Amino acid sequence: MIPAKRSKIHSEFEIRMILFYATMLLLIPNVLVVTYLFDIDQRVDIIEFIFWLLIGTLALSAIGTAILFMRRDFLKRRVKPTYRGEFIYLLFISAFGLLGIAVLYDYLGGNRQYIANVLIVVFALMLYILIMLGRRYFKFEYMGKK
Amino acid sequence: MKKKPVSDERLNRVIRYLAIALLTLAVVFMAVQFSDVWNWIIAAFKAVIVPVALAWIFALIMFPLIRYLEKKGIGPRGLSLAIVFVITVGIIFALFYFVTPFLVTEITNFFNDDFQTILTYLTTDLRDDFILGTDIYDRIYDYVTETDLLNTWLDETMPNLLTSLSSFMLPLLTAIAIMPILLLYYLLDYEMIGERLRSIIPQRHEKRVAELGSRLNQTVGAYIRGQLLLMLAIGTVATIVYKLIGLKYYFVFGVLVGLTNIIPYFGTILAAVPPIVYSFIAGGSPGPLLVLLVNVVLQFIEGNIFQPIIMAHQLEMHPLVIIISILFFGSLFGALGVIFASPIAASIRVFYTFFKEQRQLSLQPEGGGGEKSP
Repeated sequence: MIPAKRSKIHSEFEIRMILFYATMLLLIPNVLVVTYLFDIDQRVDIIEFIFWLLIGTLALSAIGTAILFMRRDFLKRRVKPTYRGEFIYLLFISAFGLLGIAVLYDYLGGNRQYIANVLIVVFALMLYILIMLGRRYFKFEYMGKK
Repeated sequence: MKKKPVSDERLNRVIRYLAIALLTLAVVFMAVQFSDVWNWIIAAFKAVIVPVALAWIFALIMFPLIRYLEKKGIGPRGLSLAIVFVITVGIIFALFYFVTPFLVTEITNFFNDDFQTILTYLTTDLRDDFILGTDIYDRIYDYVTETDLLNTWLDETMPNLLTSLSSFMLPLLTAIAIMPILLLYYLLDYEMIGERLRSIIPQRHEKRVAELGSRLNQTVGAYIRGQLLLMLAIGTVATIVYKLIGLKYYFVFGVLVGLTNIIPYFGTILAAVPPIVYSFIAGGSPGPLLVLLVNVVLQFIEGNIFQPIIMAHQLEMHPLVIIISILFFGSLFGALGVIFASPIAASIRVFYTFFKEQRQLSLQPEGGGGEKSP
């Protein structure tokens, strides 16, 4: 008998939508992590750099959305039992994105004393979103110890 | 009560085990008599095994990429292999090109600015900060100066260290030079080599050995790929966090965190000690407590969030087993043994589980398929 409360199986279209918009949202922080790591901020005007990065991200978002909707029917028919690899990708961009947000805060002139506070708040928020997404879309519970 | 007589079957078994033990000892004794010949053979094997093992490890990382490209229609094998090879070489080159200047600058700055301060602290100020009191410090200091302990130790250790380093580095450099060619041919004929190896095995064992090989490949491959990913992630995160808290030489300390992450449990301590000691001696911001806190939080996140998801419980072993295997394989194979202790232990577990399963299968009644009859 089919259980009444079955968890919905999500298609690759929904997963790719999540991954794409997460990437676009966290693209600027992820790039800023690299600029911070290699001191690129000392060679270029970082505010101008962020501005161009923002324009690039918006353009990429528009192109990516168009491509995703063009392949919608094809991706809707593809389903996987778990999306482990995709979840690891999301985990990584979130981890670096988290640090990137702290870097962005620093670049935008935020008080360095409160970086830890910013990090903790964003970390808690991201962890909640990741757990929620993991359970609902990526079948996170299947990855646990059997 | 009358004692039960020993059955013939049991007696036979005991005699058989004793004979095997005696024969083994005899073989070991004979082998010891010809130790020079054995050393010569082992050295020859070592010269082959190191580059082959390195090529195999790299193949475990690169082959999934080649297969992915081929799945996407990028072929033949030569083309997909060339793409993966060029990307790998490019990444390695970029890593050296961008990372090395940072490391060199920080190490040079350390020796120019802070090394003297640390030396002065160790010889003068440490006395006042010594946790067991100045009396004990003076006694230790007198003992070390009177017995010339440090110089004697250095005189004894340095030649041995240099010899072992040269004996370790020379085969490793040779292996690194040969490895790309080996890897190229190995990846080009990956399936064919597997088939040839299978054809050596007697037909009745072929299926089982192939299954065991595939499980070993999966376990070691998952470990290597996961570990590399973890090292890169944790190293980068540590570097950024160290920079954010204002720690000097953040790049060297961050790279150290990434590199030592390959050694389970001990790596964490090894990487945490230098920045904590440095921040303690150098003073100012950040304090050693903050550096310690950063390390603890990083390790907590890595151990509880990243590692379980990336490794997917494939290498989940009791910490005691890992620590014992590090000590054992470390003493057997040195630095390489410490690094590869976890995958070796996991491989042994794969062997054990496989043979246990085979034994259980052979004990099951034929045709029953392990299912209980109604």
